[in-house]
Amino acid sequence: MTESRIRYAVLAALLLALAAVPYVSGKFFVYLTMRVMLLGIFAVGFNLLLGQTGLLSFGHGAFYAAGAYGLGLFGAYVTPNPLLGVAVGIAAAAVVALLVGYLCVRHTEIYFAMLTLACGMMVFSFVWNARSITGGDDGFIGIMRAPVTLFGGLRLPIGKDSQFYYFVLAFFVLAVWVAHRIRISPFGLVLSGIRENARRTEYAGIPVRKYRLSVFVVSGAFAGLAGALEALLESNARPFMAHWTHSAEPVLVSLLGGLSSLFGPIVGGAFFIAMREIIQRYTENWMLGFGVVLLVVIMAFRGGIMGAVENLFGRRSAGAGR
Amino acid sequence: MQKKGINRRQFLKLTGAGSLVAAAGTIGGGLTLPKGLWAATPAIKGPIKIGYQTVLSGTLAGYGEFHKMGLLMAVDEINAKGGIAGRKVEVEVRDSTLKPDDAIKNARYFVDSWGADFLGGIDSSGQALALAPLMDKLDRVLIVTHAATEKLTEDFVYRKGVRQIFRNCMPTYNDGNAAAFIAKDFPAVKWATVSPKYEYGFTCWKMFRETLTKLKPGVSFTAESWAPFGTTDFRSHINTILDAKPDGLYSTEWAGELISFLKQAKEAGLFDKIRYVMLPVGAAMDVLEGMGKDMPDNLWISGRYYFQYPNNKTNNEWVARFRKRWGHYPAYVSETAYSCVYAIKEAVEKAGSKDTGAVIQAMEGMGMNSPAGHRVFRKEDHQAIYDVPWGKTKADPKFPFKVMGDMKVLPAKEYFNRPPFEGPGTTPPFK
Repeated sequence: MTESRIRYAVLAALLLALAAVPYVSGKFFVYLTMRVMLLGIFAVGFNLLLGQTGLLSFGHGAFYAAGAYGLGLFGAYVTPNPLLGVAVGIAAAAVVALLVGYLCVRHTEIYFAMLTLACGMMVFSFVWNARSITGGDDGFIGIMRAPVTLFGGLRLPIGKDSQFYYFVLAFFVLAVWVAHRIRISPFGLVLSGIRENARRTEYAGIPVRKYRLSVFVVSGAFAGLAGALEALLESNARPFMAHWTHSAEPVLVSLLGGLSSLFGPIVGGAFFIAMREIIQRYTENWMLGFGVVLLVVIMAFRGGIMGAVENLFGRRSAGAGR
Repeated sequence: MQKKGINRRQFLKLTGAGSLVAAAGTIGGGLTLPKGLWAATPAIKGPIKIGYQTVLSGTLAGYGEFHKMGLLMAVDEINAKGGIAGRKVEVEVRDSTLKPDDAIKNARYFVDSWGADFLGGIDSSGQALALAPLMDKLDRVLIVTHAATEKLTEDFVYRKGVRQIFRNCMPTYNDGNAAAFIAKDFPAVKWATVSPKYEYGFTCWKMFRETLTKLKPGVSFTAESWAPFGTTDFRSHINTILDAKPDGLYSTEWAGELISFLKQAKEAGLFDKIRYVMLPVGAAMDVLEGMGKDMPDNLWISGRYYFQYPNNKTNNEWVARFRKRWGHYPAYVSETAYSCVYAIKEAVEKAGSKDTGAVIQAMEGMGMNSPAGHRVFRKEDHQAIYDVPWGKTKADPKFPFKVMGDMKVLPAKEYFNRPPFEGPGTTPPFK
């Protein structure tokens, strides 16, 4: 078998396993898997910016929140159709990302990080203070999961978690596929070029700033998708979605899983959620144990968990081949 | 403040020990066989499992410890006497971190993974409101023991019919409405506030203003200063208030922030200039103990429970037992956590079942005795009705901190908003 066939087989097996989750496991595991997929969407999009383009943003929570509040407000005042709601959430996130990105992409490195942090916290304060629109610190509550209507006739209920799971799974697969296409497209190659050497890329006649802005908006849209789905999952949107502590989550899971691969952030997200859940069952001081585990993983596996796995397999296949 | 913590291992040991005693009781004596309604219906299978969440990390972690002290006392006492309807009580406590998404995750864990029959706890209003819409899906009785927002019971239980939610602590009615009933007797006519810049602060101040205006036409509200969560330096807020020269100050600051505010206000001489000060959650033990002798005299304080009220056998004995075991006076969350377990006991034994539907029916309108006095869960909105005192801070040589003097107790019925919660006759004063 060729390498690509193996890869497809593994992907198909993974997908089947994911699709089987509601049939073979308890409700709580289904819920946690949904959380992993949401964090996965958030982090995969984020990693287009960090891993692919080399820009570290600390403000992606703002776009996540834009997606969640976008869906919530649209659902409350226009129509509760979840597909339209998700679309509106993504659009809202993209618009906010465009505004923030326009201000931020002219800088790089720490300046970029600080600017995105500041913009994110501005969005947080806005959401916190605009109580009549957003519900303030109580959050925007009472978001309902109306059935999905397709082509006028077909109605798919998503009220139950086991039904909503497939809604999330569909978007998760779509998001990962889109991220994959972006990574291997000419656009993605330019982004890698910018990461490696922005000045040289610019000398090649490429408008670097526009590319940065584009990928910023795209990754913001991914965050918006994750936010909109979470709003549906939890029936609420909260100001702390826009807080920098939430913006730091994709940074952390990307580092954990590995910046250089498509699946790194997803693996990191799964590890992050699973570890926390496991440690919390043993101690109430879970934050301490969690911190230690994260420290060890980040220190020990350079290139993240996926980096370590690739090294292992790379060595093995190299050994077998010769 | 000296804290007597409990770690998980001790905690397991305690609950384990409790169950041993219970088991020994049933095997050894044969006299502790279940009696009452549930004796005829052994429909209850397995232990009664309570999933309890409270804040155990961050600056407010002390509140979580106080929750746990009350909770564990109730569980051990009940298990030592044969459990609930002959069944052992098991609890698991999780860190709620005060974040709404963690509250949801914990609740899902408790119900879907751990197999909880009941849920309890919840400190912040945001968490309560985030969890509320999920409760009919989770379909377990949730007893909220700290979050005070009236929206929880008015909107979710009464209007939307989420019948799984109950609350056994004081809602914001005590902070807003009752404060106005106390304040109407003061000569003060100009009022100002320094309060938290979030929903709780806004809601209480609004309620206070509206009720006081109805009770005493002619009062005015001259200054508002909102302190964001995490404020440590209150000087600018204090100056805003002093510049407005009000007669009275109302503040729903709480916990560590209230301590900082009081200390800084004292230094600025605020209590010499403003004679009437109302602190609806000033009677919390962390504040009283934290301020110690520095607490100014003659401030009006209240809380969701205060250990010297009611002055009866049940309460005094409970306070003594609590002090003996933990070396502390019980905080209000200790009382609500303790009474939460007893409410579950009463309801399950009354219903003869731990099924959610049957328990809800048993709890609606149910009355029970508790350290805080007699509680009744109002049928319409599932809010527990009980009385708490207001009073003025004063020194007492028997205590290392200031206590509540000149207690005034208003009947809760007179200042709790009434169903249907809109239109005339639903907010106090009632005729």
